[in-house]
Amino acid sequence: MGLVVIAAAKTLASSAVFLFITVLLIASAKRTITCITLFAAQCVIITAQIVAMACLRRSGEAVAVAVMVLLVKVVAIPYALLRVSTGLKVSPKVSSATTPAQSAFIAAALILLAFAVVQPYARDFALDSQMLAAATAMVLTGGFLMVSRRKALMQVVGLLVLENGIFLLALTTTFGMPLVIEMGIFFDLLIWVLLVGVFIFRIRETFAHVDVSRLRRLRG
Amino acid sequence: MTLTVDVIQLLLLISVAPLLRGIIGRVKARIQNRRGASVFRPYADLRKLFRKEDLVPSTASFLFRFCPVILFAATLAAAAFVPVLHASSLLGNTGDFILLVYLLALARFFLVLGAMDGGSSFGGMGASREALVSTLAEAPLLLGLLAIAIVAHSASIASIVQWTIARQPFELSPVHAFAFVALAMVTIAETGRVPIDNPATHLELTMIHEAMVLEYSGPSLALIEWANAIKLTLMFTLLIAIFAPWGVAASLSFFGIVIAVAAFSVKMAILIVSLAALESSVAKLRMYMVPEYLGVACALSVLAVVFTAFAR
Repeated sequence: MGLVVIAAAKTLASSAVFLFITVLLIASAKRTITCITLFAAQCVIITAQIVAMACLRRSGEAVAVAVMVLLVKVVAIPYALLRVSTGLKVSPKVSSATTPAQSAFIAAALILLAFAVVQPYARDFALDSQMLAAATAMVLTGGFLMVSRRKALMQVVGLLVLENGIFLLALTTTFGMPLVIEMGIFFDLLIWVLLVGVFIFRIRETFAHVDVSRLRRLRG
Repeated sequence: MTLTVDVIQLLLLISVAPLLRGIIGRVKARIQNRRGASVFRPYADLRKLFRKEDLVPSTASFLFRFCPVILFAATLAAAAFVPVLHASSLLGNTGDFILLVYLLALARFFLVLGAMDGGSSFGGMGASREALVSTLAEAPLLLGLLAIAIVAHSASIASIVQWTIARQPFELSPVHAFAFVALAMVTIAETGRVPIDNPATHLELTMIHEAMVLEYSGPSLALIEWANAIKLTLMFTLLIAIFAPWGVAASLSFFGIVIAVAAFSVKMAILIVSLAALESSVAKLRMYMVPEYLGVACALSVLAVVFTAFAR
């Protein structure tokens, strides 16, 4: 049992670092498929984190949440997004307004900003500053992805990263929300991704592209 | 005794370098469903080349013959800096990581010079590309090593290794994670592996390293190829030494050395197989994307340096 506790503690201590790296790689990836895979990897890390937390606090609810994260975010959503991205038959590039290197630098700046901002809170409430910073950085980078990527699919990925950040923030500050609320959020997310998938297909059918920057003509 | 081990590990690094190339080729062949050549083929290649005549183009100056020798010597000197079997090395106390980086840069400079001296257009093209890649790779390489040096409070590689051994495995700090990703990306660029340069290409237009050595033959080519293999081994050993040195001999007993050799082989095998898998699954980048790739590495290493301010 001692070994399990040590492993859980190590997982908690090191997962923030891996989250930082996935955030940076998502920002610098060139293909939508890479982004989706990285998002799935990010959710695997979060799952490991919840399991570790469940081990340390011996709560059954956390295990249920971990299973739901695994099913919804690691399997269902990436699968649906991959189906959409292959079914669309448009170019596999993310078509970003910034080059990969610029995006990486901006993501790096956002991570630093997150780190600088959360320091006082982490001190006051005795929280893990790295984890708090990782969550904040994910919220910021998710927003950045949604602003800078032109393809509708990448905005979904951006929003999912942002949602991951909020989820992680809730996890680190309150050690998880009640199970009912978590279930509601996951169900919302799933339905939302399905709706957006259908919507993107409709955009593609009507305009023969999924570039949101070219949808401006719609304004009357 | 320390000196003996230092010399042994340097010789090990130099002699094992062609073998690593052979293994990478073999693993890649297996992944592509081919049998592949023997892992000892690079040794046979070197022996063959050393026996052959050294042809010098009529337009080349005295530099052409000099450059491979200087390249080999500088790479050899750089190899004497990295700890392999224990947390010290032959030149470990005489210089720091900056000297190591610039010894590699010196080697590169003379390779580029020799390529341009050869007088073929492909040589000049390869040389200018190599200069571009090395200019862009220098910043992330130096910054990544600098970040580790700041955390370890020492610029000497041997003491960085000693500092890392004193810590627990898996006690990752963001600094180490960022620096590792940055240095791994730089290693691929520096050693001319697939996303940047394809070492097995036959198309001159896409070549970088191969284009530079087109004019060389015989012993000069053997020296260049050997130096290139040593550089790959050296960079991998550096990654192992800085980020996962656990297992090196703490005391200089026979048993400790045996364990160190075993640990080193396992870690090197992991790196080699992952490199071969990466090379088989990723397409070569367009030349215009190389600055982007190294820009990402640069962002990571800058982040690593800045994070040293937050390091616990």
